[in-house]
Formats: sequence, C-alpha cells, structure tokens
Amino acid sequence: MTLMTMIVKMSEGLGKTCAIFFLTLLFSLPLGMLVALLRMSRNRIVSAVTRFFITVLRGTPLMLQLLAVTYGPYYLFGANVARNKLIPVVIAFAINYAAYFAEIYRGGIESIPVGQYEAAEVLGYTRMQTFLRIILPQVVKRIMPSVTNEVVTLVKDTSMAFTVSYQEMFTIGKQIANSQTSFLPFVVAGVFYYVFNFIVDRVMGRIEKRLDYYK
Amino acid sequence: MTEIPQNGAPSAPILEIRGLRKSFGDLSVLKDISLSVEPGNVVSVIGPSGSGKSTLLRCASFLETADGGDILYDGQYAMKDGVYASKAELNHCRTRFGMVFQNFNLFPHYSVLRNVSEPPLLHGEDKEEVRERAMSLLKKMGLEGKENAYPCQLSGGQQQRVAIARALALRPEILFFDEPTSALDPELTGEVLKVIRQLAEDRMTMVVVTHEMPFARAVSNRVIFMDKGVIVEQGHPEDVFGAPTQERTKQFLRNYQS
Amino acid sequence: MKKLIALALALVMVLALTACGGSAPAKTDAPAAEERTSFIMGIDPEYPPFSYLGDDGGYTGFDVEICQAACDYLGWEMEIFGVNWDEKLVQLDSMECDCVWSGMTILDSMKEAGYVISAPYYDNTQVLVVKEDSGIASSADLAGKLVAVQLGTSGEALLNGDLAELAASFGEVITCDSFLKCFTELAGNSVDAVFVDLPVAASYCAEHDGLRIIDESLGAEQYGIAFRSGDQALCDEIEGAVAALVENGTYAEIAAKYPDIVNNLLFLSE
Repeated sequence: MTLMTMIVKMSEGLGKTCAIFFLTLLFSLPLGMLVALLRMSRNRIVSAVTRFFITVLRGTPLMLQLLAVTYGPYYLFGANVARNKLIPVVIAFAINYAAYFAEIYRGGIESIPVGQYEAAEVLGYTRMQTFLRIILPQVVKRIMPSVTNEVVTLVKDTSMAFTVSYQEMFTIGKQIANSQTSFLPFVVAGVFYYVFNFIVDRVMGRIEKRLDYYK
Repeated sequence: MTEIPQNGAPSAPILEIRGLRKSFGDLSVLKDISLSVEPGNVVSVIGPSGSGKSTLLRCASFLETADGGDILYDGQYAMKDGVYASKAELNHCRTRFGMVFQNFNLFPHYSVLRNVSEPPLLHGEDKEEVRERAMSLLKKMGLEGKENAYPCQLSGGQQQRVAIARALALRPEILFFDEPTSALDPELTGEVLKVIRQLAEDRMTMVVVTHEMPFARAVSNRVIFMDKGVIVEQGHPEDVFGAPTQERTKQFLRNYQS
Repeated sequence: MKKLIALALALVMVLALTACGGSAPAKTDAPAAEERTSFIMGIDPEYPPFSYLGDDGGYTGFDVEICQAACDYLGWEMEIFGVNWDEKLVQLDSMECDCVWSGMTILDSMKEAGYVISAPYYDNTQVLVVKEDSGIASSADLAGKLVAVQLGTSGEALLNGDLAELAASFGEVITCDSFLKCFTELAGNSVDAVFVDLPVAASYCAEHDGLRIIDESLGAEQYGIAFRSGDQALCDEIEGAVAALVENGTYAEIAAKYPDIVNNLLFLSE
C-alpha cells in the first residue's frame, strides 16, 4: 500500500474523528455550566450528589466510561447495543468532558471578586443580569487557557473511541498497521493529530486575543 | 442636583435608622445604632477600623443582612423590627441610594461609558437621554475623552471617579461612600476628595465613611464617631474635632494627629 | 583533549564489535543462548483456548502449557507477558517478550519483515458465528449486514486481503479490540455475525447458548511462533524441546485437555 492510499483511507476516518470532537464540545460546554451551577447550589444535597458524580467521572478512565455507556445497557438490561456507535461515544465523551469543564467553570466563577456582585446588586442588576452580563464574560476570559488545554486533550482522546469499535481515524490506522505489518500509519495518525491541534491552537489563540482588550 | 428632594415634610429624613443590630457569629459589630440623614446633609462617619462603620453602610445598602432594628428610606420601611420588606419594596428602596466602594468595583470588561450608562438603560430609560447624562457626568468628574477607555487603562483616582459617575447616573437621593480613598495612592486621594467636595457644594445628600479627618471636618455638616459598634459621639464637625466630649473620641483624634 | 581521544577510541571499538557481530553471528549468538536461564512468552491474554486467564487467576491455555513444559525441559524459568495483540510485533522488537506464541497466524508479511517464524503447529480456518434464530445460513446471507472481527487477527487480515470481495458484500466490517467485544456486539444485536478462528468460536459457543457456527472453510491458515530476527538459535531450541515433548507423549497429554482444537494439531496428526 502506498503512503497516499494510506492517507486517503485514514482521512475517511477523520470525518468521524471530527464528528466526535465537535459534537462533544457542542454538548459538553453548556452541560458543564449546568453541572457547575448544580455543584455550587446552596442546596447541600444537590451539591453533594453533583460533586460525587464529578469525582466519579474525573476519577475513572474515559475508556471505562465509554465501555459502560456502550455495553452497560446490554449487560444490565439486555438492551440492544447501538448500531451507530457515534451515539454512545458522544454521550460518554460529553458527560466526561462536562465534568472537567464544570470544575473549570466553577474555578472561574469563584475567582470573580465578590465586589462585582455587590456593585451589580446596588446598581439594580437582577441575579440573571448579573450572571450573564457581569460574571460570565469575565469567567470566559479567565478560563480560556484551561479550556484550550481540555480541547487539545479532546482531540487526542477521540482515538479512544476505538475501544468501542467506532471506526474513526486511529482505528483505521491500526487496521492498516496490522495488515501491512507497518509502523507508518501511526506516523500518519500522529501528523493528523498534530495538524488538528495546530488548528485548534490557532483558533483558541485568536479567541484569547479578542478577549485581551481588558485585564 | 441643586434642588433638595421634597417628600412631604420639608425636613423629613431621606434615611432613617433606628436601633440597628448586627453580629457576625459571636462578634457584635453594630449595637443599637440610630441615625437619620436629612436632605442636603453630608454626614461623615469616622472611627478606628473594626468599629462597625463600614458594616453600617453595608446594612443600609442591604449588602449585609441586619439582625434587628428599622431602616427607612423617605419614611418607607425597608426593614421593620428586624423583618425586611418584600423584594419589590427593597428594589424600590435601592433606587434611592447609590454606593461607592473602597475598591471601585468597576466592571473591567465594560468601557467607561458602558459602566456608567448600562444600569439606567437596564431600568428602561431612554438611550439618548442616558448617554447625554453619562457624558455630562463624566465631564463633571474631569473624565472628558475617557469614555471609550477600559478601567484597566485608568489610574485609581480616575477609576473611583468613574465609579462615582456610575452611582450618580441612576440619580440617587443619597450617596454612600465606603472609604472611597483608602485603596488609592496618597497623591491620588485629592482628586477624588475634590469631586466629593464639589457634590457637597451641589447639596448632594451623602454619608461618607472615611479616614480623611481634614476632609471630614471641612465638608460635612455632621460627624459621627463610632467605636466598637456604638456611636460614641456626634455633632457639628467643629464640635467633634475642636472640642470632643468623650474620652474615646479624644484618644482617637490624638492618635490621628500624631 | 585526552578525553576526546578516549571517546573516539571507544566509539571505534564499539563499531568494530558490531561489525564482527554482523559478520559472524553464530559466534556471538551461541554463548548467549547457552547462558539463557529465562524465557519470556508473549501471549494474547484473551485468546482461549490457546492462552487466557484461568479460573485460578493465572494464565493458562494450550500454548501456555506447552511452553511451560518446553521451558521445564530446557531448564528455563518461564515468564508470561500479555501483549497488546495489534502491536505484538512492536512489543517483540522492543524486547518486552522473547516470542509471540498465542494462536498466532503465520503471515507472509511477517517473514518478509524478517521475523523468525517456527514450523506451523496448527491448522486453522475462519468461521462465522451468528445467532441461531437469525435465519442466516451462509456467508451469502450476510450481504449488507454488519460483521465484527477482532483487530489484529488473521480474520481481519483475510477480510482486508484474500477475502476482500466477501468483505465488500458486507454492510460494514466492525473491528473490535478483543473477541469478547465482538461477541458482545453480536449478543447486543449491533452486528449480525462474528468472523473468528474456529477454536475460539467452538469454545465460546460451547459455553453460550443461542449461537451457531457457519463453517465454510474460509481462509485456511496455520499457527506458528514468532521470534525476533536473528533469534534463529532460540527458535531451534524451542522447536527441539517441543519435538521432545511430542516424542515422550507430554504433548498429547496436554492436547487431550483441549478437545476443541485437538483434531487440528499438526504434530499429532503426523
């Protein structure tokens, strides 16, 4: 097999890799905010339960969570395993990343000085207006570097979808490596991930720069 | 701002506090505080740190929940015998006062103009009118040409003047200052004090918690000396500063002069 | 300066030594083999009945037992290393194990890549496992359906090579990283058939109801042991030991414990 055919075949899987990446971000970024707000709830039970789930999701391997979401329903209830593996894969990824984003959001929200809330209150902002207009924009700026880290990790983590037989780029690379007894597909995969992350880095860098107008 | 707001009786106090109590855990910070502020008056609150003077302002502006007593704005109860009024009534009381913080608490992601004009806009005021008012307030604060700057580009003194303009933009009847110059470098306090003095000349009703004794003496109609959660002495600045009657007041002022 | 000369000298000596090694491999290899006291067997820990985790928590299986007997015969200490099957040759090269011996199909590409491969010891064919009530009777019935295969197995290699035409008739070939996942997908109805080695299929179906094997003798192949290139002497020693086990009857004794595969063992049919 020539290098070119190798690249073409692996590019076919790249679409699925991108699907995992974008769908995970689409769901986990807002879900993480919901989890963060539940975690900071004044209701102690809600906060404790949420914290427990966060520790479970951050304290167990993503690979295990993928297996649990994909095959768990079958082993527990005899339910059918999903034919389109993108569904369980995105569910597992979104939940896992939401837990990480939630902790980042929480750190960001808690780092905003209490004076900002007090000023807003005295000036007659409602709680919703305070959060959306005063707190959230400042949180977004503060957490950008941590979010970038997670997004870069996500690009690499997509290869884990292989564990539930989702035919993304790395899985195809592994197949070629086997049938050809060659290490080259892994090099190609490495280059793909690097380029992907190079783009991610540029995009995130731009966003950070646009938020740079104040300190 | 030159007019004295008239609500019923000509000398009816804008703010009246009766028997206010507040404690943090076992520590009693305010013990039975009573005071009233009439229109056009400038009241300075002085005292050692930990005397409860900032807590008094924070209770009056609902940032702290008091434990007991009455708080009235223009005769309307915000708190009656330790029980707060409804949310809507409290919101209505909030429109009567403005607050200037020690640390400015400007919104760093907003331009100067937006800091000043967004609160009245959120209250549904006319866009053009708010803009005009904001610009004229900034001009009055000596911040002409700074409307598009961000707080981080300004000096501390300029930031505090923006904060004053922001509070005034909502056209409050009374303005609270919580140690407005304590976070500033000494050479920047003058410009902020000058602005407050100018407001006093315009007959703006104000309560100023401050450590600037000469300023308090020169600008206020009344000085309140607080220590350990009680009002020890109050009266005309010349009396309190010139001839204090209480031993604690004398000691405090002596410490300040040396 | 003196240090530099010493360094240069050392470099020359190393180069000379390696050159000698290249020209006279027998001389350098032989003493190394004599000194050998241990042997690391590389296995797929999830490949019954050849190699798997036994009920007692230790590795067992036909290949494991034969290797143990061979090492006992040679007086070597045997260690077991569980390889990641789809990277087994990389792990072999990186000295994590001394051989890969675990129901491994001999591929031409391995020989071309320079690995030393033992004489074949087992004849294998690939079969399709389907659900009994699925109404699928032959590979032709699987047109447009989903078929699972374990990544790195000969079944996968066949579907990408000799049986590519058949593979193209399937709806999709799903590659899993263990055969257990293949069967879980089948049980969970997310695939319609599993393409797998006959002995694996036989032992799995013996323990699980509701499955049927379709044996069309697809892709006949043979199992062997892989060693690093240059380890011909090691290969010879292992082959010699196994021959001795066949001779003294130990081989047949062990084979009798594995009824699913006994008929396809080449050394016993000879």
